[in-house]
Amino acid sequence: MNNELLKVDDLKVRFKTDEGYVSTVNGVSFSVEQGETLAIVGESGSGKSVTSLALMGILPANGEIYEGAITFEDKDLRSLSKKEYRKMRGDDIAMIFQEPMTALNPVFTIGYQLRETLIVHNNMNKEQAHKKGIEMLETVGIPDSDRVMGRFPHQLSGGMRQRVMIAMALSCNPKLLIADEPTTALDVTIQAQILTLLRNLKKNSNTSIIIITHDLGVVAELADRVVVMYAGEVVEVAPIQELFDNPRHPYTRGLISSIPKIHDVVDELYSIEGTVPNPSNMPTGCKFHPRCPLADIECTKVHPELEYISEKHAKRCIKVKG
Amino acid sequence: MQSTEERVIMEVIDLKKHFDLTKGFIKKTHSKIKAVDGLNFQVYKGETLGIVGESGCGKSTTGQLMLGLLDATEGHIYFQNEDISAMSQEELRKARRDLQVIFQDPYSSLNPRMTVEQIIGEPLVVHGLASGKELKEQVRELMKLVGLREHQMKLYPHEFSGGQRQRIGIARALALKPKVIVCDEAVSALDVSIQAQILNLLKKLQKEMNLTYIFIAHGLPAVRHISDRIGVMYLGKMVELADRNELFEHPLHPYTYALLDSVPIPDPKLRKEHQLIKGEIPSPINPPSGCPFHPRCPFATEKCKIEVPEYREILPNHFVACHYPLLQEDTNVLPDSGISKVK
Repeated sequence: MNNELLKVDDLKVRFKTDEGYVSTVNGVSFSVEQGETLAIVGESGSGKSVTSLALMGILPANGEIYEGAITFEDKDLRSLSKKEYRKMRGDDIAMIFQEPMTALNPVFTIGYQLRETLIVHNNMNKEQAHKKGIEMLETVGIPDSDRVMGRFPHQLSGGMRQRVMIAMALSCNPKLLIADEPTTALDVTIQAQILTLLRNLKKNSNTSIIIITHDLGVVAELADRVVVMYAGEVVEVAPIQELFDNPRHPYTRGLISSIPKIHDVVDELYSIEGTVPNPSNMPTGCKFHPRCPLADIECTKVHPELEYISEKHAKRCIKVKG
Repeated sequence: MQSTEERVIMEVIDLKKHFDLTKGFIKKTHSKIKAVDGLNFQVYKGETLGIVGESGCGKSTTGQLMLGLLDATEGHIYFQNEDISAMSQEELRKARRDLQVIFQDPYSSLNPRMTVEQIIGEPLVVHGLASGKELKEQVRELMKLVGLREHQMKLYPHEFSGGQRQRIGIARALALKPKVIVCDEAVSALDVSIQAQILNLLKKLQKEMNLTYIFIAHGLPAVRHISDRIGVMYLGKMVELADRNELFEHPLHPYTYALLDSVPIPDPKLRKEHQLIKGEIPSPINPPSGCPFHPRCPFATEKCKIEVPEYREILPNHFVACHYPLLQEDTNVLPDSGISKVK
């Protein structure tokens, strides 16, 4: 495929702790095409958020990429200087976070923060930036956007703040938008509004979106393709419908069957036994084997490769055939 | 068949809780937050009553009032025909043996300096029900009941994962063999695979110990899974209450309808446009006049702006507070009023 926008190849990220290095992302590979919405799904500790921070070049100070390549268009992101990376963020890649309150600066008005982005990245003057800022707020469905420009983040509700974040992220027409749990902190009626907003963005522009979430409902609503992560690895990749119709990895299967269905009430939910392993104490062989209903002695020894079973569908499991 | 009176374990009548907002040094009250504003409902023995709603609807305040952790501004809460809101501290302490709670974040509700053994055993010690060997035996039993292992007795809360900590919270709540447990967002902070474990555990325990649950949550799929009946709250009021299937299949209140429609369905085949309700939840400090939902409701008329709709049993066991409940056949299309329609 030649309209590939982002390619992540064998990415490994580790953190320095008191007990030495702990690796939380262990060889993650995936790609995003132009205009595509890719969902990265996983539970806490799967490494999905760390992957997105690594892409943005904003890992915490004790974290580092120690192997792998990230290619955006034709640029190798790992070779960029800090200054070049900063330019890249905002211009080409933008990110929205779960809790916009922590991402917005509390001491500046919404208007100031929006204008600043536009002045720095789009070479606008203050007036142009102000006009464009109001326009952006309108695009994301903020009523009374003129007044909102003068407000401080704490004066807005959670849903409004998330809209402001999206407006800010979109203000420089990024080619890739990374949304890390963008609706997790929101009420369900507000979540529906934000999901609709993202869906319209997808429909009306050629922006690629990576949505990182634990909520398979959100995935089903938005994604074209899904990457399932477990314990720092990709365990399954598939187009959206294929993933729900024909999940191959036992973890994906478990995840899908353990969600309570709103239209189909069962007496007992399927549940995956045990808990996600600790990164400093990973199981041998397949990392899912202690929780897997199919695991046998082989699984405790062999670390399975990610294997393509069709052009677009891959799984990391030696027990499930085909 | 038991008569209704025998079936009812708790009853809430005209319950109100208003918090004063004060200002300045002399703490002059300048306005009130009407967190709970006139609730009426019953809880049946052995059932799970789900209470759902978005932030600020008063569902958690309701839970705290029912536990006697907050004093009601007005109204009554009857537990086995005794009024909790009129009890002395001493009487309340006794009543709490039967009324327990499980919180959302088991990390902040468990004392980090106590071992699991001490945490689970504490209620038994406080109420003077067990000590020494017997205490240890009971703690061991409780741990087994919730799926914790005996060798974990001497560990501290931080040594457990979120799901296991929730199990500790459940074991502690069960220690006094309560009749009613208020589960306040008990599974909301957990990963899906762990959430399923805890929901299954709660169901199993309910059957074995004949427990009554009041399950407060904002996650609708989990509430539907565990509840027998579900009440929907909006701005301090109960807007609808019915059997779970009835509520999900035939919601009568426009808010319930919109709320259910907003839930993302984990099936890409069912992808659809949501019937968005406009605007956001108004502040409970200065709630709208008349029906609290009227500014966001596509059906609202002049009447809704002025008159508070009465909460009434409109169909058998189906309560709703709305002037224009969605009783007609064609309830799956809301009228066009700036909101999107079903495709």
